[in-house]
Amino acid sequence: MIEYPEIDRYASLDSPLHQFDPRAKIIAFLFLIFSIVLLNDLKLVLIGFLVSILFLIASKLPLHFVIQHLKGVSLFIIPFLVIMPFTVKGNEIFSFYAIKVTYEGLRYGILVVLKAFSAVMLIFPMVATTKFETTLKALDKLKVPNILVQMLMFTYRYIFVFVNEFQRLLIAMESRGFKLGTSSYALRTIGNALGMLFVRSYERAERVYWAMRSRGYAGRQKTLVKFKMCTEDYVLAVFIIAFAVCLHVVCYAGVGVV
Amino acid sequence: MKKEAISVKNLTYTYPDGTKALEDVSLEVYEGERIAIVGPNGAGKTTFLLHLNGILRGSDGQVEVFGKSVDKVKREEIIKEVGIVFQDPDDQLFMPTLFDDLAFGPINMGLKEGEVRERVEKTILSLGLTGYENRCPHHLSGGEKKKAALAAVMSMEPRILVLDEPTANLDPKSRAELIKIVKDLNEQEGITVIMATHDVNAVPALADRVFVLNKRVIAEGTVQEIFSDGALMKANNLGVPEVFKLFEVLRCFGYNCKELPLSIDEAIEHLTRTVEVNGGHIHLHIHEHTHDEVKKLRSKYEHH
Repeated sequence: MIEYPEIDRYASLDSPLHQFDPRAKIIAFLFLIFSIVLLNDLKLVLIGFLVSILFLIASKLPLHFVIQHLKGVSLFIIPFLVIMPFTVKGNEIFSFYAIKVTYEGLRYGILVVLKAFSAVMLIFPMVATTKFETTLKALDKLKVPNILVQMLMFTYRYIFVFVNEFQRLLIAMESRGFKLGTSSYALRTIGNALGMLFVRSYERAERVYWAMRSRGYAGRQKTLVKFKMCTEDYVLAVFIIAFAVCLHVVCYAGVGVV
Repeated sequence: MKKEAISVKNLTYTYPDGTKALEDVSLEVYEGERIAIVGPNGAGKTTFLLHLNGILRGSDGQVEVFGKSVDKVKREEIIKEVGIVFQDPDDQLFMPTLFDDLAFGPINMGLKEGEVRERVEKTILSLGLTGYENRCPHHLSGGEKKKAALAAVMSMEPRILVLDEPTANLDPKSRAELIKIVKDLNEQEGITVIMATHDVNAVPALADRVFVLNKRVIAEGTVQEIFSDGALMKANNLGVPEVFKLFEVLRCFGYNCKELPLSIDEAIEHLTRTVEVNGGHIHLHIHEHTHDEVKKLRSKYEHH
């Protein structure tokens, strides 16, 4: 069976981050993510990285769930660590014929990797601790353009339908002797199946649109939702944002001193 | 004089590729009536239903809902009156949670938040969906999805309910539940029901009048009249309820009945009456012509 891409599978756990108001959560963590990503000091980034891990622990999300999602992301991040040291010019650490490893390159590589992992890890407490639809409603309340929210919402709603549909196609193919593989025949067949999926999606999109218009859709999608900020939410949000600001204050101060 | 809920006059619709989907369709539906539209696959049933609330418009002919021409008034006016439940609930339930889906229509109608919540609550209660408010559609079973799709339409409180294959892909319990819900909506709230279906066994429970549609309106009549016309049924790839067939067989064996029962309930009633009239038993027999008649009957319902 294909697994559903459920980012909010553990949204019903109980932790301070789960109870954090979704709007405040999004803003605070986005602030923190940008703050860490924009840092240029390795020590401060390391602190940011450790704090990200702390938030991840505080969110009580199961380790295997986090690792499962981090695996895919690593594929894009780890190459930086491998490529940077060889390509950035600077003081050599050692050289092997024409290949030179530089101190600046290594530092840069580590910097990028730490920043990227911090950002990705902070996505978990931000998004995975809330039901995804609540996150969407929060985005709407935060005045994110409605069209974007709608796109996210439809993606979220129909990704499961498409996963199911593709799975049905695959099962139907397999039950007629098809074997998934990398032969040109198998790839061609998968191509056909994907084409079929596109046609079906197109037709479904038309029917969904009919259904929406039947119920008065006129371009804007409104939802009813009640969010209420309580003291804890303010405290936590202020704390996170203050920390994000502090990183940069220290960074500038540090630069000034040195 | 009954009030006309829907009046369709000379409706003709051609697909973009040039094939005719509907040709000169005319029919009237009166307020509070229950209508079944039957016909073979590809007969244009869904296309026809999409004209009833103006989703498809600009075709030749006229569609009027409570005297208002669908082409001329704003769509919002029409969708308030006509709610369409689509065949595949996945097409209909597009919001993240059931609550949002039920609120979608009322919000679009411009109702205030309190009113929207009230309607959603009322619909959830009346369709027995309590506890499902925050479920997402992909966590619902087929039967629950279908009920949810119906609820999503009913929260707009339409006076006319249009159902496309309401009983398709449902297990018997969900099917029975759905039939009961629709029946109650019609009887208790006077909602006009129009459904397109292949489920002949659901027709007697859910329809007073039947239209046979095959691009054109082929025939119109009471359930009894339509199902009694064997040639019509066969010509349009249709079938009749098994109970109906069984009593037709019994008639070959000498059972006396003019109006064949369409459902189990009617059958029980009929048998009871016959037994009572005949002094406590039923008389069946085999004559020479019995076999011929049974043979004729079988060929009447065989599709080749």
